[in-house]
Amino acid sequence: MSSEDKNKPNKSSEMSRRKFFNLIGWGGLLASVGGSAVGTYKFMFPTVLYEPPTVFKIGKAADFGMGVDERLKKERQIWVVKNDRGLYVLIAICRHLGCTPNWFPDQQRFRCPCHGSIYDIYGNVRGGPAPRTLWRAAVSIDAADNQISVNFLNRQDPDPESTAEGLTVEEPPRETAPYFVKSA
Amino acid sequence: MADWMENLKNKIVETQVWKSIFRHGYPDTDTNRALVMFSNVLLHLHPVKVRKSALRIRYTWCLGGLTFFMFILLTITGVFLMFYYVPDTRSAYQNIKDLQYAIYFGNLMRDLHRWGAHAMVFLVWLHMTRVFLTSSYKPPREFNWVVGVLLLVLTLLLSWTGYLLPWDQLALWAVTVGSKMAEASPLIGYSGPFGREMGMRVDNDIRFMLLGGTVVGQSTLLRFYVLHCVGLPLLATVFLAVHFWRIRKDGFSGPL
Repeated sequence: MSSEDKNKPNKSSEMSRRKFFNLIGWGGLLASVGGSAVGTYKFMFPTVLYEPPTVFKIGKAADFGMGVDERLKKERQIWVVKNDRGLYVLIAICRHLGCTPNWFPDQQRFRCPCHGSIYDIYGNVRGGPAPRTLWRAAVSIDAADNQISVNFLNRQDPDPESTAEGLTVEEPPRETAPYFVKSA
Repeated sequence: MADWMENLKNKIVETQVWKSIFRHGYPDTDTNRALVMFSNVLLHLHPVKVRKSALRIRYTWCLGGLTFFMFILLTITGVFLMFYYVPDTRSAYQNIKDLQYAIYFGNLMRDLHRWGAHAMVFLVWLHMTRVFLTSSYKPPREFNWVVGVLLLVLTLLLSWTGYLLPWDQLALWAVTVGSKMAEASPLIGYSGPFGREMGMRVDNDIRFMLLGGTVVGQSTLLRFYVLHCVGLPLLATVFLAVHFWRIRKDGFSGPL
């Protein structure tokens, strides 16, 4: 190689040593900052939860009478509702600000004590500030012991329609699996 | 007699120990007055020169200073409370009861902390109102207004995270409601606009991160405790430093 070749400037397609180390340096810095950002983000989400189980069994369908059953409200934060078509589970969390409403059998209404949201037995909004209908939890019947299994995190939340009666969702499309167990 | 005192004073002032602590003479010259400001960490927060008109109490009411005083008061009383409080759902409420009824001066510390927190929120609000009404947010102070808004948010978050710690009904439901609001945030909340479209579930959205679970429980208490005692105060300290640094650079505002 002649000395002329050595002193030639690099071709534009080739990377100079300076550029290469620049790239490695900044790339490495960005990668480590990005990596630790992702790590920090993931750190904040617990992978194991020490709280009541979110999937649990509540007994057989025959254990529940017609209408709203309040037995599991305190322990599981749910109401079990049975009608002549089948059974569904309402989550006892007010859709306004997350408090726990009460069931009034004489009025056939759920009423939240905090800001006065009113729901009917289907979870439709019949008054108050609630912006959505009550959630329904996914239910299924375990083939092994015929018990109803509730998934508290899998929630049905259809878009309600604003009617003269309030925010409502038509029943037939809502009474579907896995949020509804046909009369058993 | 006076000579003897003068000699003793000179001897003390000339020792290495004295000089290592006080790096300026008596502030009766401009140089020494400036050095008093520069060499003292607390006075350094103040600008070297303050316009006389800005010190008129009826102009600022010292509301920012009172807010900072509350922050200091809350830090000190908070440390005292930490000696007895354990962020455990089984003992938290009882610890607060002990502080109120069993521990010497416990009730005073708790009340100072509580009322101080209320006072701080109130004073921040008044301070911002004053800054707004006197147009003190205008250039060159507009960046400091932004820092101030961040400090307002931090103040409110500090109050909110402290709310949960007594672990009574009020605390539990306040945090239930507050975290429900987080859940309704756009994009990052489960029931907020576009939340579902972004793949948010009850067990992976912003509320879940805040609570450390799907319901208000032990991990929520621990998270709020850490945020209340370490995380947010640390962040607030950083922004306070920036806030004061800007005041130092721009000077206090004053009537024209």
